[in-house]
Amino acid sequence: MFKELNPLLHSELRLGIMSILISVVEADFLFIKEKTGATVGNISVQLEKLSAAGYIQVEKGFIGKRTRTVCKITPKGTAAFAEYVEALKSYLDIKS
Amino acid sequence: MEDKILNEKESLELISKMIQNTQTKLESGKGKPFLIFGYIAFIVSIAVYVLLVTTNNQYANLLWWAIPLLGGLFMYKFGRSKDKYAKTYIDRMINTVWAVIGTVMILVSFFAFFNHSFPMVSLMLLLSGIASTLTGLIIKYVPIVICGIIGTLTCVLPFLFYGSEQVLIYTVAVFVMMVIPGHILNYKGRKANV
Repeated sequence: MFKELNPLLHSELRLGIMSILISVVEADFLFIKEKTGATVGNISVQLEKLSAAGYIQVEKGFIGKRTRTVCKITPKGTAAFAEYVEALKSYLDIKS
Repeated sequence: MEDKILNEKESLELISKMIQNTQTKLESGKGKPFLIFGYIAFIVSIAVYVLLVTTNNQYANLLWWAIPLLGGLFMYKFGRSKDKYAKTYIDRMINTVWAVIGTVMILVSFFAFFNHSFPMVSLMLLLSGIASTLTGLIIKYVPIVICGIIGTLTCVLPFLFYGSEQVLIYTVAVFVMMVIPGHILNYKGRKANV
């Protein structure tokens, strides 16, 4: 029986961002940009979508005179990610 | 990377690739806290030694407080990366170890303020040696573990020496367990990021 894949996570960039954030405590915008290779505009849009869903927490602050946007995954995001991986396994016939 | 829909196999490959990619190449600048606190402790201990020898005034020991004060200030000013930044779970573990041991060191220093027979230098060497060793064990890097163990073992030496000589032991020990590991970590980080 196939489980439904969460449409919010079933996109390359959003899934990439979530995979980064699940591996670290927190990461800033520049780190995400480097790891994904995506454009600033595209990342901003996807971060907003993930934040609106309550999957990530975005904090804007300062380091010296420069702004820094730090993102971290929320417990809701972690649960959604785990559920998504479980659903993927059912499609690929991987037994946990 | 774009906002395109992936098939199931591509999704799993992407997750695996991103997690792997995030776990590596995060070593650059890891030695910074070791170097900041190490060099400050090194310089302060030399200053305390010189003052004790030249003036024989025990108030010179008040200079020790410059280590947490200047260390905290320098960490705030230079310890945070202005470049891309990510905090791993290993970073958090190391920060916790140093925060707990640092707090104990400050509390012990307060206690020693009222009890002059307290083996202050030994205890400081023991505590910072333990923190260095744990850091090496957490990041699984043998040279740091060795420096930490050497530092920890030096805690017995102050019992064999008196007065200002104990300060010199601290100077050498702090160089071994803080400054050397700091440079090793930064070198390792630079090599990993080439």
